[in-house]
Amino acid sequence: MNLLTLQFLSEIILMSVIFLLIMKKNLSAVSFYGLQSLVVVIILLNSFFETKDLLMLLVIFIMFIVKVIIAPLFFIRLIKKYALSFSVSTYLSTPITLIIITVLIFIAHSNKLIPLTSIVPDHQVLLSLVLSTMFLSLFLIVNRKGALSQIIGILSFENSIVVFAVFANLEQSASLQLGIIFDIFIWIMIASIFVSMLYKHFGTLNVSSMKKLKD
Amino acid sequence: MEILFIITTLFAAALINLITKRKIIIEVTSVIASLVSLILSLTIALKVSSAGLYAPWSGQFFSIDSLGAIVILVLGFVGFTTTTYSVQYLRQEIHKNIIGFKRMKQYFILLSIFFAAMFLAATSSNPIFAWISIEATTLSTAFLISFYDKPSAIEGAWKYLIINSIGLLLGFFGTLLFFTSINLPSVGLVDWHLLTANAIHLDPLLAKIAFVFVLIGYGTKVGLAPMHTWKPDAYSKAPAPIGALLSSALLPIAFVIILRYKAITDIVVGPLFSQRLLVTFGLLSIAIAALIMFNAKNYKRLLAYSSIENAGVIALGFGFGGVGIFAAVLHLIYHSCVKVVLFLSSGNLLLKYNSAKIFNVKGALKVIPITSVLFIIGFLIVTGIPPFGIFMTKLYILSAGMKDHLFVSLLALFFLTLVFVSFLKHITTMFFGEKTEGVEKGENSVWLLIPQISMVIIIIILSFYLPSFLHTLINNVVLQY
Repeated sequence: MNLLTLQFLSEIILMSVIFLLIMKKNLSAVSFYGLQSLVVVIILLNSFFETKDLLMLLVIFIMFIVKVIIAPLFFIRLIKKYALSFSVSTYLSTPITLIIITVLIFIAHSNKLIPLTSIVPDHQVLLSLVLSTMFLSLFLIVNRKGALSQIIGILSFENSIVVFAVFANLEQSASLQLGIIFDIFIWIMIASIFVSMLYKHFGTLNVSSMKKLKD
Repeated sequence: MEILFIITTLFAAALINLITKRKIIIEVTSVIASLVSLILSLTIALKVSSAGLYAPWSGQFFSIDSLGAIVILVLGFVGFTTTTYSVQYLRQEIHKNIIGFKRMKQYFILLSIFFAAMFLAATSSNPIFAWISIEATTLSTAFLISFYDKPSAIEGAWKYLIINSIGLLLGFFGTLLFFTSINLPSVGLVDWHLLTANAIHLDPLLAKIAFVFVLIGYGTKVGLAPMHTWKPDAYSKAPAPIGALLSSALLPIAFVIILRYKAITDIVVGPLFSQRLLVTFGLLSIAIAALIMFNAKNYKRLLAYSSIENAGVIALGFGFGGVGIFAAVLHLIYHSCVKVVLFLSSGNLLLKYNSAKIFNVKGALKVIPITSVLFIIGFLIVTGIPPFGIFMTKLYILSAGMKDHLFVSLLALFFLTLVFVSFLKHITTMFFGEKTEGVEKGENSVWLLIPQISMVIIIIILSFYLPSFLHTLINNVVLQY
């Protein structure tokens, strides 16, 4: 894949987080996470064609199963089970959210972060885009009141770190990546169980309604 | 070989506990597994003290240096005492119909996995595998924190899961940045040794950024302020032995990983950068914990804030350097031992009073005298009252900082005094005066006292006498970090 195609894919990942930040429907959020994960898999597949490591192909396949199929299915099941069509509100209003998105993207592209984006000088644009995705994913986690959105935020953050590793030539060996995927898979399952437990005890997934713990 | 045997034993224990339907088998298996871990940890520590490094199979999978040996030794002791305590503690809870057999079974399965993950994190030669193991500790303990299935417990566990996951992802990002010094495709698996050897190729600015990410990431697991917010919630809602393990075992393991990255960063940019950060986070942790402890309303939360404070003291020790490092390592050992005493005794209080609120516990000295004396001794040790070892470690740490960080040392001294005053205030409320009405006198079981008594004996011995192998290990840590 040439740089322009990779840049296009990185832009899709970035756009998916921006949509995740402004989406109100949970189902759309899950779809955008699925799309984002699919693009991550495509980027990794490109990396496989360069190395021709068969074990890496297995990792990519498992990643596809876990992130593109299982995780969205888990979340859709939760949405249907608890009738969670709409995500609970955000802490900040949409205009302020949009301003912060702009600022974070600007920061990710600023000279201050050149040490991070110039790890591979040829990939500076790509790394800046991925860094923007990382910042926005973190913002998604802190700005959303919904437990499901927070989970998606964390998974989106993890996706952006994976892509950063690819573009910065910091990809780990296939065996270690398998370990990481296994961790993520268990994490998704546990987080999904907790979502059910939260709903059972609080009747909502709005984390701002959790006020049982006070000093 | 020993480390593989520990891990295998723990996973086998988890598997046996999963299959069996007999309570006694679960209890015996768990205790035996923790005893095996203790004996083998001691063997490894002795080997490291004589050989300097324990790295079976040429260090391909496991590598244990002096700091790692100290930490797994602590883990071995803490693991064995908390497991033996857990057996009787859960029996009491089953007797009181707080939990059933299914919960008890779940507890011991997760406990074994938690131990195995901690051993792997402390001994893995690969930084990424260490990260995976630390993440596994989060996953295995999430259900132990939500163990009682109450809204507050679920809330505490959710915060723990989310905050630690974000923290660990930041730590993962920092870890990856450290790998920029190595041409990854040509070397395959990267171990700590290779990362250290290649540190000179790391861009100084990138090394600084990477260390900040690692410190924030793993610092979340340690519970350094301001990433500490999950700690009081999780510690107060988890069963008492789990609180003890989080504070006494997991905290030092996460700290060890930060220190390994500190050593790499120091090669690139010199020690001043990491020391300043550790001093800043350390002082902030002590200050925040001290200010909140004064108004604490829950004794398990009080212990959680005490852990934050002590994490801050250890960070200060490593930040000040020199004799501060020696004292910080000793402090880490003493703190782990004393937190077992305090958390397990808090479990006895909870069983007797059915409340973790300080206000609801009165006249405990008359109700459960031995537990109360143990808790009070724990308080005296953890706040640094002479002649216990923590007095000396705090003194050495603060004196190490007097030369270059006079203001920080004085501030830390002020907040440590405040911690003592706060703790004393709560101790007076809980243990003296007339007992709460309707509470029966008498200890629950002698088996709920033996683990704490043995830990107090260990602390007293270590306060006056350091075995030569432990002295060697600590000296090696000072030279290395």
